[in-house]
Amino acid sequence: MSGSNVLSSRPVYVVGIGLHPYQRRSDTTYVALGVTAVRSALRDAEISWPDVEAAYTGTALLGMGSSRIMLSRLGATGIPMTQVENASASGSSAVAQACLEVAAGRSDVVLALGVDKPRGGLGAAPGQAGIENLESGTVVPFTHFALLASEYMHLHDVTVEQVARVALKNHRNGASNQYAQRQKVRTLEEILSEPISGAMTRLQCCPVGEGAAAVVIASEDGIRRHNLDRSRAVRVVASVTRTEGLYEDGVGIDAALTAETGAAAFNEAGIEPSDIDVLEVHDAFAIEELLYAEALGLCAPGEAASLVESGEFDIGGRCALSPSGGLLAMGHPIGPTGTGQIAEVVRQLRDEAGPRQQPNARTGLAHMVGIGAVCVVHVLRKD
Amino acid sequence: MTIQARHPRLLKLTDPPIILGHRCTRCRRVAFPPDPYGCEKCGSSWENLEGLDLEARGTVRAIATVHRHHHPSPSTPFTVAVIDLVGGPVIKAIVAGVEVGVGVAVEGVLVEDVADADGNIMVDLQFQVVT
Repeated sequence: MSGSNVLSSRPVYVVGIGLHPYQRRSDTTYVALGVTAVRSALRDAEISWPDVEAAYTGTALLGMGSSRIMLSRLGATGIPMTQVENASASGSSAVAQACLEVAAGRSDVVLALGVDKPRGGLGAAPGQAGIENLESGTVVPFTHFALLASEYMHLHDVTVEQVARVALKNHRNGASNQYAQRQKVRTLEEILSEPISGAMTRLQCCPVGEGAAAVVIASEDGIRRHNLDRSRAVRVVASVTRTEGLYEDGVGIDAALTAETGAAAFNEAGIEPSDIDVLEVHDAFAIEELLYAEALGLCAPGEAASLVESGEFDIGGRCALSPSGGLLAMGHPIGPTGTGQIAEVVRQLRDEAGPRQQPNARTGLAHMVGIGAVCVVHVLRKD
Repeated sequence: MTIQARHPRLLKLTDPPIILGHRCTRCRRVAFPPDPYGCEKCGSSWENLEGLDLEARGTVRAIATVHRHHHPSPSTPFTVAVIDLVGGPVIKAIVAGVEVGVGVAVEGVLVEDVADADGNIMVDLQFQVVT
């Protein structure tokens, strides 16, 4: 891999976070969702809107030109605004662009926002590529992951109950997250009811609702100039985006891509997987959390299910995995999801996560994959 | 009356049926499905991708029974498998029969849908345990 690590030459920090709760589709406009999250992030950072020099809006479903009509309601300051679309990782990519702009020295304070409202379908472009496939119309995402669950359970002698325990943990975490779409502790019996596809049941599939998440990214100069609270700033030490390569026939692309992207992010951050205290992963379907925990090197292949079962990935365990409730409980409104992960990791590293707080969390990671396939990993550290 | 394949660009309606893949004449990569653009391995253009007949035989890598589906067809429950074809590529297809499980050898058969008002019959590929 080529390219210098711009995040080490000019450090960037998350200085403010804010959300609009994730919720079922409602009459609330995307403008109201977005403005709520941004005002909250500005308040958290104790910075005013005119001090923000650029904005990136991660959105996949709103259609063209969403930013200005929304953000001008904070004051039409005329700053550059750009929509960022990267499927489920759109919000992660908005953060990546904001970090890059600050690290490159172009701006000192940049907003990354994720906002979306679900529509009828996702309207994904690969379906219009003119490449016909046998499974078109029969294998939708929950079946894609149900098939990966089948292979994983067979290969590692893991039971459906063990996979369901991922959802048990994440629903429990989400129950104490005021921004989560699902805030209810569930029993294993409830989680195993209502089959959707293979081992995946309704509560092992994420809800796709609406919401917004915002983070304010700043340089050291920006922190100094605007007199921001340095003690609450969390440094971004790695920001890596990769797309699917060509793997051997039969290799699970989501995990293989995650392994590559994660390894590059650990290298950029100069840390080992064992240094991670808290992380949010793309657990759109319960099986994914097991695949990605292993792909990121938190444990050996086949080990994640028993570690979830023994509580090692609980809040208070060796490493808190999806403390927000993850996509399974907090929800997956598409554009906001990746930005919201950064907000949760920052909250954890600031020791401000209340009942969800992972003790002594210093280093955190956020991981999203999206249709394409794309993968974005950020590593954050509290000095 | 006509007989049509649901995926005419992916199948030959022979007995046994043939799955249509492609091979890159430059790097020799074999893949499914046919591709009108270029080789993902070596990047050569579509002119270097030649059609390749693949046997509809393989081994089940993974399986899932679908209980919720947003289209009326196929009707639920139906079962989908990941199949390692003997010719290399890995495909996903509908499987039939309770005996189908991970590690089982399967073969493709053509299954007829109900004829429409004009008597036209739509056929599709399904996999079943090797007879």
